[in-house]
Amino acid sequence: MSDGRTLNILAAIDMQVNAGEAVAILGPSGSGKSTLLGLLAGLDQPTEGGVSLLGHDLGAMDEDARAALRAGRVGFVFQSFQLLPGMTALENVALPLQIVRNSGARVQAEALLREVGLEKRLSHLPRQLSGGEQQRVALARAFAGDPDVLFADEPTGNLDADSGQRIIDLLFGLRDRAGSTLLLVTHDQQLAARCDRVLRLHAGRLQEAA
Amino acid sequence: MNSGWRSVLAWRVALRDPGLRLLLAAVLVAVAALSSVAFFADRVERALVLQGAALMAGDLVVEQGDFIPDAWLAEATTRGLQAARTVTFPSVIIANERPLLVQVKAVEPPYPLRGRLRIDTPAGPVGRAPGASDAWLEGRLRDRLGAEIGETSLQLGEVALRAAGILVNEPDRGGNLFQLSPRLMVGYEDVLRSGLLGPASRAKHRLLIAGDTSQVTAMRSWLAARLPPGSELEDVENARPELQTALERARRFLSLAALCASLLAGVAILLATRRYVDHAMDSAAVLRTLGMRGSAVLRWHLGQLLAVALIATLGGSLVGLAGQQALVSVLGDWFDQALPAPGLRPVWVGTAFGMSMALGFAVPSLLRIRNVPPLRVLRRELDAPGLAGWLVWLVAAAAFVGLMYWQVQDPRLAGGMAIALFVTLGVLMIAGRLLLGALAPLRRAGGTAALGIAALARYPQLTMLQLAGFGLGITLLLLLAVVRVDIIDTWQNSLPEGAPNHFLINVQPEERASLEALLAERKVPNSGLHATTRGRLTAINGRRIDPESYTDMRSRRLAAREYSLGFGAAMQPDNRIRSGRWWLPGEADQPAFSVEQGVADSLGVKVGDTLTFDVAGQTVLAPVTSLRAVAWDSFNVNFFVVGSPALARDLPVAYLSSLYLDEETDGLTLELAEAFPAVSVIDVRPILTQVREIMGRGSLAVEMVFLFTLIAAALVTFAAAQVSRDERAREVAVMRTLGASRRRLLGAVLAEFGLLGFIGGLLAALLASVSGYLIAVQLFDLPGRVSPSTWWLGIGAGTLVVALVGWLATRRLLAIPPIQVLNST
Repeated sequence: MSDGRTLNILAAIDMQVNAGEAVAILGPSGSGKSTLLGLLAGLDQPTEGGVSLLGHDLGAMDEDARAALRAGRVGFVFQSFQLLPGMTALENVALPLQIVRNSGARVQAEALLREVGLEKRLSHLPRQLSGGEQQRVALARAFAGDPDVLFADEPTGNLDADSGQRIIDLLFGLRDRAGSTLLLVTHDQQLAARCDRVLRLHAGRLQEAA
Repeated sequence: MNSGWRSVLAWRVALRDPGLRLLLAAVLVAVAALSSVAFFADRVERALVLQGAALMAGDLVVEQGDFIPDAWLAEATTRGLQAARTVTFPSVIIANERPLLVQVKAVEPPYPLRGRLRIDTPAGPVGRAPGASDAWLEGRLRDRLGAEIGETSLQLGEVALRAAGILVNEPDRGGNLFQLSPRLMVGYEDVLRSGLLGPASRAKHRLLIAGDTSQVTAMRSWLAARLPPGSELEDVENARPELQTALERARRFLSLAALCASLLAGVAILLATRRYVDHAMDSAAVLRTLGMRGSAVLRWHLGQLLAVALIATLGGSLVGLAGQQALVSVLGDWFDQALPAPGLRPVWVGTAFGMSMALGFAVPSLLRIRNVPPLRVLRRELDAPGLAGWLVWLVAAAAFVGLMYWQVQDPRLAGGMAIALFVTLGVLMIAGRLLLGALAPLRRAGGTAALGIAALARYPQLTMLQLAGFGLGITLLLLLAVVRVDIIDTWQNSLPEGAPNHFLINVQPEERASLEALLAERKVPNSGLHATTRGRLTAINGRRIDPESYTDMRSRRLAAREYSLGFGAAMQPDNRIRSGRWWLPGEADQPAFSVEQGVADSLGVKVGDTLTFDVAGQTVLAPVTSLRAVAWDSFNVNFFVVGSPALARDLPVAYLSSLYLDEETDGLTLELAEAFPAVSVIDVRPILTQVREIMGRGSLAVEMVFLFTLIAAALVTFAAAQVSRDERAREVAVMRTLGASRRRLLGAVLAEFGLLGFIGGLLAALLASVSGYLIAVQLFDLPGRVSPSTWWLGIGAGTLVVALVGWLATRRLLAIPPIQVLNST
């Protein structure tokens, strides 16, 4: 920290998620859920300890190797959508496929957008879409390339109840079809209940929920 | 909220705003660069003026046929100015029983007030006026008299003098370069005692004045109101034409360089304000949501902006002052005199520039903040209605042009630059639009390069801004980097190593053939012999000339003076026709005049007017068929008025030539003096050295000022890259999350910025070539040329530098863990 003190966000965390499993991490705001998700996905590096993703030790890899591991195999859904504002819905969804040089990127992206009910919004920019629609584009992007693992950070946090419900249904529907492992961070008990396993994060420590 | 708490809070918020920090840095660097240039240019210009003053031996000179009234001398002394009288007249001295015609110059201490006098005496060199009964002799006078320094007595009128030293350098000798008789310098009191100066004697009395600029200016006005007809006031501005040309060019170079730095600085500020206003809109929406009134929100931001602009401007001025001091200490050795202390004007220019740019560019956009919808908190894309974009630009542009004019005080330069600026921006904008249209299909492609290049199409507004920023930056840099070298080269080449350093005057027609043969035999480079005669302009279009009818001094003097009329079939190579045309070979028997542009302007002469000259009682009348620009600093044989060969046919002419004598042929001067006693050989090497010094220092100063322009250009490039920083940071984070490698992202950025740089560089090369050509021809009266290096440097360096800037900016973003960026948006 700027005043020189150390702030421990997460401590003594030991967890394993098996292939095809859906795991929810529940916890109040500020408990370190998003930080944990970032570490598990290799978006950040822990100061101590290690993370293994898809059989690879993330700590032994450099940032490029981690990015290469994510490309095409890991999907993300964020609370604040994280769509690129200059790209249309179609371009946003095609982006991860273009990154792995998939030649049919646009066709696949179009199919995915149709699947989430946005076939009429292909050429719209994010700012021309509602919050629910933006999150559906984000979902389509996350499942482009059928990822092995999907990380979702409060995917319904910015949405009303109806839109949230629709996103959850879509998320689990797409996940079932792709057979992806799901790691979901939320404070919504109902959403967590749809997962195979629920972990609670409290004061930086993780416990298996009963 | 109470106002004190509010301003503290406003400050704390302001300091955290990266947009405002960038604006602060931009204004600070801009003002620092600009005021360093302004401070330095101000001091160098003063030094150059001083150097010019050295050639008059004072800052201000009064010249008249009568004695200088004691009251004038007393007035100058009362004002704290230095003053000295001189008088020159032709007379005969007798030495060793030989009489000889000399040009006597009597001077009194503290002559010379400016410049250096050098006398070689048996006791060593001195630099002061001769003491009582002492005389300084020019070298050729000593030779002719066979005088011995320290021994020989000379009789001048009723006083007996002693040859006490050799006059090596007389600063204001150039005032009348073509003196036939050698110089004898004596004390002023001795001349008064000689009895040679009566009311009707053909003497030129001068009062030299020097001192503090404002006092000199005041004295000038005081004298101007009291000068009798026939008296003249001279200062550096209207002194020697060859020096005036050199000084004027040096000044224009500096102004141009300073203006380019200002332009770049202005663009950097403009780019920085965009980011600041964007961030301000966000925080304004929050403040509005919390219940603050629109006008209060506006005041909050205006206060922030004003304070930042003020701090940055003052800081920039201080840095500028320190910067120019550093520059002076580096350059100190190159200027053999101490540079005059800087004036305060650069502080005002810097302050006005910084404040106007920061406020002028930001306030029109910021005014919209009053109407920012609170809903922007939820939907960031909502913008506030405000002034039309073009109106904002128009206001900013008008302010900018006004400032440019104020800075350079030269309507032609400022106007030309303003037009060039708008044309440049227009071309860049149109090119930007075409580029965006051409790139649209790339959005469908997926390769690395396409990914980057498509980014240009994704943010059309940013692309246009960046292209304008990079393009303008490269254009101005090219203009200074390449065109500057071209112009300086052309300038210095106009006075090459072998430029004429001696003039031969008063060659009689019958001596012409043998003189030409001698010069050819000794292989002395020369200009050939030019026919010339003395004549007085008596009428324009049949109307008699009345010098008193002209209001300004220069016109009066030109109307009253005697001209050396030249005659020739061909125009001198360093002349350029400004209007009309030179006579063709077949027209040599038609009477016609060609007049130098400056003289024509002063006298109101146009092509088609008829001039009448009185040459030794004969009337010479002919139409003006052309006006010419003359490179006086070339040291070639040149005339204000040239007549066609037909006019010379029946006139008594003598011939004039310029030669280049090197160490081997230097002895020719003595030989010529013996073989052609009537011919005078004038050594112009001292003045040639002085002009070369002005050129050298002028060029050096431009090189130094160019460094500041480079800093300003670096700032523009940085600001242009920063314009898209927020968007880029987010793109990079999202793409990395989706698995894009560093290499891929950097490759895409290299393609994106490389293309921007390529197009910017290509357009900049085109624009710099055109404007460089126009600047050389229009502003510097130099032949225009387009250098190929402009093109390869523009395109090559443009692509590389802009790509590198993009790469560096993105590399920094790649070091930030993606989660940090994503969490903050």
